[in-house]
Amino acid sequence: MTYRLIMDQITHRFEDGGVQRTILNNLSLKVAEGELVAVLGPSGSGKSTFLSIAGALLAPTSGNVLLDGESITGENAGELSSIRLHQIGFIFQSANLIPYLKAEEQLMFVAKQSGIHSSLAAKRARALLEKLGMSHRRGAYPEKLSGGERQRIAIARALMNDPAVLLADEPTASLDAARGMDVVQLLASEAKELGKSAVMVTHDERVLPLCDRVLHLDNGCLIEK
Amino acid sequence: MYLAIREMRFAKVRYALIATIMLLIAFLVLFVTGLAKGLAYDNAASIENMSASHFVMEKEASHRFTRSLLEESVLSQTGKAIGEENVQSLSVRMTTVTNAGAEFKLDVTLIAVKPEGWLMPSVSEGHAITSQSIGEVLVDSKMKESGIGIGSIIVDQGSGLEWTVSGFVSDESFSHSPVIFLNESDWRQLQLKMNALKGADGAASDRSISAIALRADKEQVEQLAAAMSQTEIVTKSQAIAAIPGYKEEQGSLTMMILFLYIISVFVLAVFFYVITIQKSHQFGVLKAIGTRTGYLVKSVSLQMLLLSVSSLMISVLLVRAIEMMLPSGMPFQLHVSTLLMTCGAFIVISLVGALLSVYKISRIDALDAIGRTTA
Ligand SMILES: Nc1ncnc2c1ncn2[C@@H]1O[C@H](COP(=O)(O)OP(=O)(O)OP(=O)(O)O)[C@@H](O)[C@H]1O
Ligand SMILES: [Mg+2]
Repeated sequence: MTYRLIMDQITHRFEDGGVQRTILNNLSLKVAEGELVAVLGPSGSGKSTFLSIAGALLAPTSGNVLLDGESITGENAGELSSIRLHQIGFIFQSANLIPYLKAEEQLMFVAKQSGIHSSLAAKRARALLEKLGMSHRRGAYPEKLSGGERQRIAIARALMNDPAVLLADEPTASLDAARGMDVVQLLASEAKELGKSAVMVTHDERVLPLCDRVLHLDNGCLIEK
Repeated sequence: MYLAIREMRFAKVRYALIATIMLLIAFLVLFVTGLAKGLAYDNAASIENMSASHFVMEKEASHRFTRSLLEESVLSQTGKAIGEENVQSLSVRMTTVTNAGAEFKLDVTLIAVKPEGWLMPSVSEGHAITSQSIGEVLVDSKMKESGIGIGSIIVDQGSGLEWTVSGFVSDESFSHSPVIFLNESDWRQLQLKMNALKGADGAASDRSISAIALRADKEQVEQLAAAMSQTEIVTKSQAIAAIPGYKEEQGSLTMMILFLYIISVFVLAVFFYVITIQKSHQFGVLKAIGTRTGYLVKSVSLQMLLLSVSSLMISVLLVRAIEMMLPSGMPFQLHVSTLLMTCGAFIVISLVGALLSVYKISRIDALDAIGRTTA
């Protein structure tokens, strides 16, 4: 089995008014190809911190993150930018689409950034929108889209550069139950079909049956319950 | 630039608003610059038009032609030093004249030069004067408005001397007054008459000219200055700045222009900064999905550039249109070189205005995108 995302003995501390607080403590996680892992935990337990480290947004105090088997430790800002662009697909809580880009342009933009040829990019964007049932909305600005539609565009954008890892930060928080189920369903099936390693931080217990594994962040470690 | 252009397309009103403000400021800057240049020219055209590089003046004259008096021997002395063909005598006096019937009074500047020398402007109408002609003068064409034509008699109020207008020259003014050109012998006549009126004898007449115009390079000037103790060598721009009213007028206009530039930096900087702050979550998301900071900085700078260039183009057209509608007597002058320099300065200013936003963008953390509920 290949693990496209490996987090190896991650420890993270924040310095807060001279006091060191250990948020993540020797956390290890392997996410296999095609797997969707849900991470739960009380507020302040460090879920966002965990996801930021997995997504090359934050360097851990110690430990290693490996994407497709390669460590990202010690890379400079530019290289981390490039890693996020090519190897990671982010789906945020809300308002993560660029307001002045039409649905299709959201996808074209990330493709352009990574240097994909525009005719190829256009073809891939069409195919993704088709697959996520958003073809008819491709010319719409985010403000004209419903919450569920926006998240579907966000998923399409995250998939656009064919990343190794999908990371979602409470993707259902701004959606009603049915829409939330749809979005997580989509995430799970895309991860499976395209062989991505997916991690989703969530508060939403209803979507857990759709995930392959459910982990709890407790005292800085991930445990299965 | 994918983002920059699409954002401007999306938020048309917002960017049109900034462009309008930039357009108005740019227009004002161009207009005031044109006015300043026009006034400067109107004020000092005669000196400005002279092909001299320096002027020799009396030491105590504080760079003013009208205060300076030199002995004519200085002319031959400087001529020996840098070549006869590179020196010309120049005499300046401000006075009031009337026409023969004393129907009006006019403040004018009398300038006496050698008619065959290189300080004499070319005649635009009528015929030129020579060193031999007696009582004949060339006058600035603005004096036509006072009803003066070729053959008219002009009476100097102070001395009572009379001159006949033999021709016109154009764009000749000194301290905003029209200039009357006379030859050196008429100038000597005037000096004698004035001295006689003052009750002095003819002894003072050996100090009869105001200044000497030079065509010299820096080295020659330095040598010359070292050789002469009673005189001072003044550059052309120093001499122009010392024309009565010139410094004050240009100073206040320059201050206006300077403040307009400062105001534009602030307005643009604040406008862009506010927009950038509004978008900081968005910049966080962009950084999180792998957009480089350099790309975002370029994007904002490009927007600023597009806005400033387009509003400059419109304001240049506007200024040119207004210029054509201005009455002919209005001092306004905007040469292409001034125009280009002003536009260049404005573009630089607008990019300076974008700096604050660039700084802000560079400080935005991609982490902002995660774990925030902000809309
Ligand atoms: N930059 C920071 N400096 C200091 N402390 C921080 C910083 N970022 C987060 N923390 C602290 O680390 C802890 C974990 O934060 P984190 O945002 O990861 O929690 P979370 O599990 O995502 O919570 P929530 O469910 O409320 O989003 C919190 O106690 C928080 O106050
Ligand atoms: Mg959080």
